[in-house]
Amino acid sequence: MALDRSVSRRRLLQLVGGATVTAGLAGALSACGGGNGSSSSGGPLKVIGAGSQEAGLRKALDDYKKANPDFDFNLSFSPADQLQTALRAQLAAGNAPDLHAVYPGNGSAMSMVQLSKANLLADLSSQSWTQKIPTGFKGAFQNDGKTFIFSPGTSVLGAIYNKKAFATAGVDVPTTWSELLSVCDKLKKKGIVPIALGAQTPWVTQLIDYALVPGTVYAKTPDFDDKMTAGTASFADSGWADAMDKYLELQKKGFFNDNPNGTTYEQATSMVGTGKAAMAVQVSAVLQAFRQASPTPDDLGMFPFPATDVAADNWIPGGVVVGIAVSAKSKKAEQAKKFIEYCGQPDVVNAWAEAVACVPLYSEGDAKVDPVLKPFLPYLKDNKAVPFMDQRWPNAEVQPTHFAVVQELLGGKSTVPAALKKMDEAYRKSA
Amino acid sequence: MTVTAQAVRRDAVKAPRRRGGGIAPPWLFAVPALLIYALVVLYPAFSGAGSAFTDWSGVGAQRSFVGLDNFQELFHDDQALGALRNTLLLTVAIVVVQNGIGLLLALGVHTGIKSRMVLRVIFFAPVVVSPVMVSFLWKYVYNPAPDAGLNAALGAIGLGGLRQDWLGNPSIALWSVAFTVIWQCAGYSMVIFLAGLEGVPAELHESAMVDGAGTVARFRHITWPLLAPAVTINLMLSTVGGLTLFTQIIAMTNGGPGYATDTLSTVLYKQAFVFGKFGYSTAVALVLAIFVAAVSFIQIGYLRSRETAA
Repeated sequence: MALDRSVSRRRLLQLVGGATVTAGLAGALSACGGGNGSSSSGGPLKVIGAGSQEAGLRKALDDYKKANPDFDFNLSFSPADQLQTALRAQLAAGNAPDLHAVYPGNGSAMSMVQLSKANLLADLSSQSWTQKIPTGFKGAFQNDGKTFIFSPGTSVLGAIYNKKAFATAGVDVPTTWSELLSVCDKLKKKGIVPIALGAQTPWVTQLIDYALVPGTVYAKTPDFDDKMTAGTASFADSGWADAMDKYLELQKKGFFNDNPNGTTYEQATSMVGTGKAAMAVQVSAVLQAFRQASPTPDDLGMFPFPATDVAADNWIPGGVVVGIAVSAKSKKAEQAKKFIEYCGQPDVVNAWAEAVACVPLYSEGDAKVDPVLKPFLPYLKDNKAVPFMDQRWPNAEVQPTHFAVVQELLGGKSTVPAALKKMDEAYRKSA
Repeated sequence: MTVTAQAVRRDAVKAPRRRGGGIAPPWLFAVPALLIYALVVLYPAFSGAGSAFTDWSGVGAQRSFVGLDNFQELFHDDQALGALRNTLLLTVAIVVVQNGIGLLLALGVHTGIKSRMVLRVIFFAPVVVSPVMVSFLWKYVYNPAPDAGLNAALGAIGLGGLRQDWLGNPSIALWSVAFTVIWQCAGYSMVIFLAGLEGVPAELHESAMVDGAGTVARFRHITWPLLAPAVTINLMLSTVGGLTLFTQIIAMTNGGPGYATDTLSTVLYKQAFVFGKFGYSTAVALVLAIFVAAVSFIQIGYLRSRETAA
């Protein structure tokens, strides 16, 4: 009996060993496909950008290379969610790319404030373009008076809509919250999904709140962020509650696609592009992706998403778009800085901004702005634009908490007061 | 016969020691391996563990000693406690169902049916596919649209009422992920059970049949006791796999919707790389490692005693 068992165990181990080797081999093979190398010494300048800045960054690098034949670069891109993890792991390991994407202001683990505090970004303050940064945007570029990132301008957030779908339902662009509900109702009756929402992709969950909060919070309390910093305001006792109630009202009235928590950003983009859905609340920086998903890109437009019934209170979110920074540990820092200095020239700023559908940071003469952004320009001119909320949040925990609580709300597993309480708790944690 | 074989084996092991007076003690041979192990496993593990007592963000040089603050926060963190609950639920589901299905598959392909070799390959095939690929495949299957993936299949067979938002519904998402893991790993359990079944002597079954024992009685009194080593290995591997599950969750749900599928592994990953709290993340990792080790020791102690009893 014991002998039988020992034979059994030996045979067992042989098989387990074989299975382990097979599994290990499979793992090794899959690992082979994932490597992209990372070295800052020797070879071309290594650049990692965010997916949403691809068109502009690639064009700037290509143009710079044409003018400087000795310059060479190795460019790759990462989706927003992976950028925070993959790039941060490289930063932690000390092998960050020479030039990489960084989010403006504060509020995420890959934001300018968080990384510059850890001395991981090179100081760009001596470059002449930094003097042209508009005063209101300095907080997005600077920490302790030093400039650490370059960004081509500001992106606006609103509804990207399919004009054909609107025409089919016989509706016009709404300018108040009530009009928006009425438009959605008519679209729904025509069998068109009024608003496509891909809330399975975490960063998409925040956009409707971001579109509503300028109207429900900042139009009444422009210094809300300062009050939050001082501890005299909270999410729970502010217009954030009104914004989240409205978010849920859209869901309860059936104005989103079925199962938004199981729908991805890409699926939502496709729904609007093909006219199956009429609109999606998005940042203008991703307009290009919507155009690629549409057989008739010219049918796509954008309008400010109204948050209240008082037109004057309907402010817009408009924030500095994801930028680039030079790694403080780069052995090619000087080369990378020269490229950024080139990017700071007004014509390069304009070209990059146009490629990613944002409003240029500054311009000489008339800036070329994507025509679909024109409805937003008066808001920017009248100072009715609020930077994306996370850019003033004190730590990297509030934003992912916001993602999670919105998914819980959409899934019926939380309430607005409980969601905002979690955000307040995350906000009060140390930076 | 059995005693003799064991005695011979013991002698074979002890013989070189008795005769090897002039040869260096065997442990010296382990030194190179131990050095490498210490360098690539022990040193990083212990130096990393030190971070659990700091407020390091994961980047830069700034860090301060915070004592046991991270551990105190962990035991009052609703997200971590929810993740612990999810981890335990997933582990129980995976251990029970994966091994149950693995055993049934093994018994099925251990019979004399003609296509048993082909079936073995088919059932084992998902194991050799990367978990990330499997996750993306199932993400497609779990598409919530009524005309796609699993929902379309349910509609086609007249079960449209069972259509679900498989990954988007917080009440279902955890079980959808568990099913994917079980689908991929049941073949692995099957192989181990199969090896165990091949070690069960055919003559015991024949004797029992002569004595009039039926299929169930023979499984209960012959096969099951002799499968004890395979059960031990399978339960151990699936328990550790369940407690440390990470890839499939990150690829399919990223811990969502909300926190519905967060496990301790995804929490520690998010704390380190999304929230920028490497020190706290290391504290979670330490607790997870101790927890897995404790469960494993208790489990193996019990299962070994069960093997001996069998």
